[in-house]
Amino acid sequence: MFRLRTNLTDPVTFSFEGRRLTASRGDTLAAALLASGVFIFRNSPVSSAPRAPFCMIGNCYECFVQVEAMGVVQACLTEVTEGMQITKVSNQIDELGMDIKEVSKE
Amino acid sequence: MTTQLPLCDVAVIGAGPAGLTAACELAESGRDVVVLDEQGAPGGQIYKGVEKVFADRPQDIRPLGREYAEGKTLTRRFRQSGARYQPGVSVWQITSDQEPDLALGLIENGSARMLHPKHVILATGAMERPTPFEGWTLPGVMTVGAAQTLLKSSRLLPEDDVVLAGTGPLLYLYVMQLKKFGIRPQAILDTGPPLSLRTSLLGLRALITCPQAMFQGMRWLWGAGVKTNMTRGVDSLKAQGGDHLSSVSYEARGRRHELSTSLLLVHDGVIPNTWLSMSAGIKHHFNETQNCWVPEIQGAGLTSRDCISIVGDAAGIGGAEVAMLQGERVAREVDAYLEDHQHPQTSIESGVLRRQRWMRSFIDEAFPSTAQFQSPENDIVVCRCEEVTAGEIRQVTERGCMGPNQGKAFTRCGMGPCMGRKCGLTVSRLMAQVRGVSVQEVGHYRIRSPIRPITVGQLADMESILKGDNQSVLSANSS
Repeated sequence: MFRLRTNLTDPVTFSFEGRRLTASRGDTLAAALLASGVFIFRNSPVSSAPRAPFCMIGNCYECFVQVEAMGVVQACLTEVTEGMQITKVSNQIDELGMDIKEVSKE
Repeated sequence: MTTQLPLCDVAVIGAGPAGLTAACELAESGRDVVVLDEQGAPGGQIYKGVEKVFADRPQDIRPLGREYAEGKTLTRRFRQSGARYQPGVSVWQITSDQEPDLALGLIENGSARMLHPKHVILATGAMERPTPFEGWTLPGVMTVGAAQTLLKSSRLLPEDDVVLAGTGPLLYLYVMQLKKFGIRPQAILDTGPPLSLRTSLLGLRALITCPQAMFQGMRWLWGAGVKTNMTRGVDSLKAQGGDHLSSVSYEARGRRHELSTSLLLVHDGVIPNTWLSMSAGIKHHFNETQNCWVPEIQGAGLTSRDCISIVGDAAGIGGAEVAMLQGERVAREVDAYLEDHQHPQTSIESGVLRRQRWMRSFIDEAFPSTAQFQSPENDIVVCRCEEVTAGEIRQVTERGCMGPNQGKAFTRCGMGPCMGRKCGLTVSRLMAQVRGVSVQEVGHYRIRSPIRPITVGQLADMESILKGDNQSVLSANSS
């Protein structure tokens, strides 16, 4: 997708799903993840299909991620900081093994 | 610069060319101005990261282009203007005209608060037109604007296998920037129509009246076309892959082609970002030429609500230069209005502004929105959040659903977190096609606050603040 950057000046370390990654200070979370080769940010709560940033200006909400102590944020509008722990947003409906479209029809 | 006083003369929402110019003009003439910006630094989308690029990556200024570098003049002026700048702030509410006071609901650093300006200037800019087609929800498919944002703010460059598809000036500007960074895209799939006689005539008029802008545009087009694999007349674009994009296919001259790639960037022009103005109850109408909803504007930037003005691309697509000229006019208008609360005589549009409009009418004609995206096939997802297809929208409309608001109840279309930003235009268009009426008649989603996500906890915390002594809590906030 995007070229991995080398020789980061002023790097910050953060993690995504337990993986330790580095970014450039001032990067948005979305840029930091894409630059680290993370392609899938979340799964659709409707079909579980994989999703990733689409618009990068806060309008599509495809870049939702869970940040420790912050909750669910738009990765394209949030700056990465040292030690930030990021995970995918959990779709609790998945854990129940239900299809949301079927549930809503009932 | 980030004092938390809840009062001000004018709140400007958005820090692009329009918002910054209006804020500078008003602050320089002594008004107390607060600029609220969702981004971390001034410049808007067009001048995104311009201060950082000048400070940390001066070698990138040349490839990003002269037009981008001009943003630095504006941000420098703004920093010295005396306007209060509040980055990282989302506006989730403008109080309705039924409420006694004009107030803005803000979220800053995870907590909500209110701001009470005497006047609001919306400078919320533009966003890219939705482009529904098969596979557009796959990771690896993004907009051209998204990729350009990543380039400006973080110097992210796509791999050489990148494919671009669609139409519009931004696509060509980005390709030219990529080439200056040493990247030749694998393919550019142009979905635009061939140049008609009418377009050529409008182009000629634009060339005579705005030679500089036209030459700049031709430089982009020519620069993008040279030594690139550009295909014109592209139709039936599809993105394929499992968990991630793996290939793109399309039709050109009656034959189907396929390209392997990990990144597809799409673009189909830009439309005003009207979510805040719609939520404020301002009247809008559908502009068929620009294929988008626009607020109804009187004078320079007056709306159907006396205390709210709109400026720049949010009032109708005109580009950065028009946005700055309009910023000056709207600032003068607001300044006069704050003086005596009479609607002022609006200054006549300058010759430059009129000539810029001729330029725009050429751009509108030369880069019309893509037919494939305007009328997606039945199995195409139009609402990305709730995964509702074009077929479902057509079906409920055929069964008597009159408009997008009723459609929500049947399909959940437009009820996800994006609140219809990525499907609103498509859904209104599809319903208009089925009913055989204009998009204006079908209408748009009713947009209500909160227009940005806010948690119950954030709201509850704010309530407790309001119940206390306003001033003491607010001064505690600012310490």
